[in-house]
Amino acid sequence: MFKKTSLAAGVAAFATILFAGGCAFAEADKSGQVDYTAMTPHELAEYLIFEANDGGGFNLAQEMQEGGTARDRMQQDELQKACSIIGDGKPDEETMAAIRTAAQESIVYPEGGIQLGNWERGRELAWSGFGYRVGHNYDDHNVREVGGTCYNCHQFATDRTGGNVGPVLTGYGKMRGTSEPILKYVYDMIYNPHVYFPCTHMPRFGSSGFLDKESIADIMAYMFDPESPVNE
Amino acid sequence: MFRKALLALPVALALGATAHAEKAPEEVLQGLIDSIDSRYLTQSEMNIMMMPDNPALWVGIDGEELFHAARGPNNVSMEACDFGKGPGVLEGAYVEMPRYFEDTGKVMDLETRIMHCMTEVQGFAADDPAVTQRHGSGSDHMKLQTYIAMQSNAMEWNNPLDHPLEKAMRDAGEVLFARRAGMSDFNCYACHGQSGKQVRASVLPDANVPEDWTKAISWPAFRVGHDNVRSSQHRVRGCYYQMRQPGMLAGSDASIALISYWTDMARGQPAILPDMKR
Ligand code: HEC
Ligand code: HEC
Repeated sequence: MFKKTSLAAGVAAFATILFAGGCAFAEADKSGQVDYTAMTPHELAEYLIFEANDGGGFNLAQEMQEGGTARDRMQQDELQKACSIIGDGKPDEETMAAIRTAAQESIVYPEGGIQLGNWERGRELAWSGFGYRVGHNYDDHNVREVGGTCYNCHQFATDRTGGNVGPVLTGYGKMRGTSEPILKYVYDMIYNPHVYFPCTHMPRFGSSGFLDKESIADIMAYMFDPESPVNE
Repeated sequence: MFRKALLALPVALALGATAHAEKAPEEVLQGLIDSIDSRYLTQSEMNIMMMPDNPALWVGIDGEELFHAARGPNNVSMEACDFGKGPGVLEGAYVEMPRYFEDTGKVMDLETRIMHCMTEVQGFAADDPAVTQRHGSGSDHMKLQTYIAMQSNAMEWNNPLDHPLEKAMRDAGEVLFARRAGMSDFNCYACHGQSGKQVRASVLPDANVPEDWTKAISWPAFRVGHDNVRSSQHRVRGCYYQMRQPGMLAGSDASIALISYWTDMARGQPAILPDMKR
């Protein structure tokens, strides 16, 4: 029921127009120039990313940490498409509901239930901005482990300065306790926050493969462990 | 830097002929600060204080010399180049870029236009370091960009959208701004869609607030943290890097589309050139 079908169909249709042999709009005119003004803004944007300037407007050949190339990373999945809205508004109710459902389906829970890990490692992971950056200064995951970038957007313990794109999480475990529902809520938020906030700006750290289970458990320990400075 | 402070005033006088000299960049910024309540604009008192001694002013002076020097295999100066207002006319040229150029049939930003001028007018080979070295205060690019941009200080951003290609590029830029992709699902709104938002200690400009956004796009700017003057293309690269998306190729049509849109978002607001940033 996720517009999976309709979204996917739309995507396929779009891809056909865009890349199928002939390339309806990308057809060169007599001068050999592609006519940008004959495309819709979306078509042109895709063309500029993937085709223009002899092979695209980005360094698309670079290999990515997760495998594949930059060309693959620039392809949008359904959620990214549905949430790319000019003006940053929300999609319609039906799409929002579909996003929630798909997000829920993407979440994989640890065998034996959600456990808290090592808060000290979690503290460093929540702080670290390392991981998955590419381009001119490629993050080599063999050299350092991937962090969560959480501090970019959140304040946790106040010994370090965090951002405020997301809500303040100082004292989180102390205030909310460690009941199963609250642990599940936070696990879900880290894994795929679109379950609760469709088209949120918080990344899907679990579904995207950004953080592994152990890192999620450690970051959660940082938020919930009574010993953690978050709960001082 | 302080050593140079004494000279800052003559610098401003030497570089500015008319409108852009009437207001120093720091006065333009002060005007914006007085007009709205913005955490972004006011976040660094230190930088505001240092602006009269902005090292970028010196890079601009070097650029002035370079601009007027006969260079390249053709031994001509850049005065023969058209930045949109006729050969050699720089006043107000930069705030009206990116724009469509008849001679190339393309929409170009300042950086690509300088490259075009170096290769087509001055005759430099496309792989000459003068053409390819885009970053750093010591590069010809940053010197020239700073000098040319300074001739638009205090003027309002007003990139033309009359030509269908200008409009098409601006509209595609708007799509790029909103386009999510990559490991973090980010688009530009993720960090620039609300006022007063901070990523760690940096207060971010809100693209919906033109008074914020004019400072945001006022490049070249001296980046204190980098100890170098930086360009718009350098900023674009930095944001895609943080977004975990691939490096946007400088001068690509994608980059020019994005810059067309971001300039449109600041339309009507005065440019701060050169600026000083974190
Ligand atoms: C790009 C910014 C961003 C990053 C990075 C980010 N978050 Fe968030 N986070 C948000 C936003 C925004 C919300 C609020 C949800 C909304 O309104 O979209 C949120 C909400 C949350 C919540 C729910 C709080 C509540 O009580 O409802 C938790 C928990 C959370 N984030 C944890 C994390 C953790 C842990 C990390 C790092 C692994 C992280 N976030 C990284 C932006 C971010
Ligand atoms: C993950 C957060 C994030 C995203 C997403 C992001 N930016 Fe930025 N952007 C920043 C930060 C942080 C700065 C300020 C740099 C600093 O203070 O060191 C910045 C600065 C800027 C500036 C200059 C303002 C200044 O004072 O330095 C512009 C213009 C800009 N970004 C444009 C964009 C565009 C266009 C996009 C989308 C392609 C984008 N940003 C996406 C975080 C982001």
